[in-house]
Parts: sequence; structure tokens; C-alpha cells
Amino acid sequence: MKRMEEAKRQYDDIPIPKELSERVLAEIEKAGIKRREKAAWERRRRIMKRGKMAAAAAAAAVVLFTAGVNTSEVFARELQDIPVLGTMARVLTFRSYETESEDLKISVDIPSIEMIAQNLSGMEDAVNEEIYVFCEQYADAAVERAKEYRQAFLDTGGTEEEWAAHNISIKVWYEVKSQTDRYLSLVVMGSENWTSAYNQAKYYNFDLEAGKWITLQDVLGEDYAQTATQSILRQIEKRETEDGVEYWVEEWEGIGENPNFYMNPGGNPVVVLEKYEIAPGTAGMPEFEIPVQ
Amino acid sequence: MKQTLYDMLVAYIVQEQNKFYRLAYSYVKNQEDALDVVQNAVCRALENYDSLRDEKAVKTWFYKILVNECFALLKAKKRMVLSEDDSYWEIPYEEEGYEIHDDLHIQIGQMEKDVQTIIKLRFFEELTLEEISRVLEINLNTVKAKLYRGLKTLRVAIGKERGA
Repeated sequence: MKRMEEAKRQYDDIPIPKELSERVLAEIEKAGIKRREKAAWERRRRIMKRGKMAAAAAAAAVVLFTAGVNTSEVFARELQDIPVLGTMARVLTFRSYETESEDLKISVDIPSIEMIAQNLSGMEDAVNEEIYVFCEQYADAAVERAKEYRQAFLDTGGTEEEWAAHNISIKVWYEVKSQTDRYLSLVVMGSENWTSAYNQAKYYNFDLEAGKWITLQDVLGEDYAQTATQSILRQIEKRETEDGVEYWVEEWEGIGENPNFYMNPGGNPVVVLEKYEIAPGTAGMPEFEIPVQ
Repeated sequence: MKQTLYDMLVAYIVQEQNKFYRLAYSYVKNQEDALDVVQNAVCRALENYDSLRDEKAVKTWFYKILVNECFALLKAKKRMVLSEDDSYWEIPYEEEGYEIHDDLHIQIGQMEKDVQTIIKLRFFEELTLEEISRVLEINLNTVKAKLYRGLKTLRVAIGKERGA
């Protein structure tokens, strides 16, 4: 047992690097921010839920209380929330803010999906939370990157005036790609105007009939990867002769698992490839519509 | 209620961080990896603090996360070495750091995962066998059996070396 005591002494002598406490504290701080964000989100969600319930109540009562519309401001506001017939879900701007300081402009529009149809209620919660966290985190990280960039610029001899001329801006926004009786597709994006290296886009597709979030496999079936890859290769051939854009077909390994896509209004999926995945950066993020057989 | 549990967890982490680091170091054997392991464990613990039900369980709960992170890192490193073609694999530059010269440590390091952890937690971190059984999620008798088997192997191994 003596040897074990000696071993323990050596163990206790393992020196503690000074970075340890910094890194532990940084992690605690990061978690704290996330936690506050999540709490803020929960609060908002509760408020939205309450609003939705009020709207449903108003919808039920609308026939009886038409006389009340002009006299009650609250009532009129609730009336706007009554869904148009046939619409089962919609996308709202959940939170929108813009800040502009001397050298940094940020604009953020965070979407939120609202399921109107009773049977879909609650299916949006997890995705809304994910979208919210994605947007906030992107914005925070972009601000950090801008600060680092600024520091590096100043450290290497740039002046404050020159820096201000960069007009740094950060944007987080969304686009509803389609909204039909069958599908709801939207994309949430983040970009910075001084670099495209961190651009991000997340696609969300909901099948209103099936009542679920879908992947490309749900639309194209088991062989989705092959179907999509072949269709893309055919389209590339056509594009190369017609538009003269050069694609890197040889190096491309076909679409990966869970590729980005959205449903277009015609009901076909449109696969969105990453920048540089198959073509020079000037081609951006190439899109290919894949016809459903 | 939840708020205080979270605060308590943060306080526990701040207070015990040196111990976490030593334990991590004893597995991964270099400063950078040990720092990564501790940082990941802290991140994971704070993210999943809802799964911590009881204030009294914080120690064994955290050690469980920490030990898992240690093995996850070792596994990832091993995979990296194996997947690289030999001719491209460069021997990583390891900073000259603190080295544990004691051959008992080396012997312990070569033992089976659970046994290694049991010995470290028992003798270096001074956890009770009951606590260890909660960290590893195996029953108390199994912990005892593994510990005694481990100690026996160690004695044999050390004996051999002396004999040689």
C-alpha cells in the first residue's frame, strides 16, 4: 500500500495550468448566456400560446359578436389573428431587431412557425426553439468575429477611420420558400458582409398532410440520394452547354445525407448544394429542382 | 428551486476544478487534452443539469460525465491514428510537460477501463465504493470484485518487475 500512497502523491503533484480556471469560467459564462436565452424564449412562447388561445376563442365567438368589432380595440386585434380558411400553418416574425453602432450594423429577423390546424398544434415548438437559438447564436458569433477582425485590423496598422469605412454588417433573416396546402418550406439564413466563409442557411420543410417535418427521403423515397444525384448530373450537363458554367462533376460524390432542400410551389423538392461543393464560388449555392415521379 | 441547484452546480465546478483536471490528466496525459476534457465536461454538465435530480448526487453525477469525456477523447484520438494512412501520419509534437514516472501509474493506465477508473477514484480521488458504483453505474459488488482483481494484477505486475 506504500506504493499506492506514493502514486497518490505524484497524482496530487500534477500541476494545474493557469488556463484551467479561465476555460472553466468561460464555459460557465457561455452556458449562462444560453440559459438566459432559453428562459427568454420560454417566456415568449408562453405569451404566444396565450395569444393563440385568445384567437381561437374569438374565432368561435365571431358570429355572435360581430357588433363588437368596431367598439373593442382588443377584439379587433384578435380578429386579425383569425386564420384564413384553408391555411393550416403560417410563419411570423417572432422577433426583429436592428442595432447600429459606429462601426457595426446588425439586423436580425427571427421567424416563428405557428400551426393553426388543431391536430398540428405543438409540432412547431422544438423547431421554433431551434431556429431561435440558431439565430441568436449566429448573431453573437458574428459579432465576436467582427470584433476579432477589427482587432486584427487595428493591430496590423489600420486606423479607426479606415475601419469604420468597412461598413461591417451582420444579417440574420428568413425566407418562406413556399406555402401550399401540402407543404410549408422556409429557410433561415445568416451572413456577414465581409466574409462569406461563415454564411449559413438552414432549411425547414413541413408536410401539412402527413403532419411532420420531412427529409428528402420522405419526398423522393428510399433511393432519394441516387435519384437526386442523377437528376442533378443530367441538369448540370444541360447547364454547362447552355450557360457555360463550369461544374466540378468529377470530384463530386453526389448528395450527402440529409441535404438542404426546400419544396417549391409546384410540389417538387429543390436541392441546394453548398457553395464550392460542385462549382466555383461565383455560382453561389446552386439549386436543382428534382421532379417527383 | 431549480435556480439554486444550478448555482450550486456552478459553485461545485469552480471549487473542484483542480481535481477534475488531475483526473483528466491521468487519463489523457497531456495538458491541452486535459483542458479540453474538463471544458467539455463542464459544458455538458451545465447543459444537462436538469438530469441532476438531487444536490447530494452532484459529485458522482459530475464524475460520471468527466470520466465519459476522458474515454470519448481517448477513443477519438485512437480512431484518428488508425484511420490515417501510416505514411501520412506525423508523430504529433507533444509538449514537454509533467510526467508521472511512477510505474504504478503506468500499470494502472494499462488496465481495463472500469478497473482503471475504480482504482483512480478510490485511491486518488478518495471516493467511497458506493460512490464509485454510482459513477460507473454498476453494482457495488461488481465494483468490489473489479477493484480486488485490479489490485491483485497490480501486485503481480509489480512483483514481476522487481523479480526481473
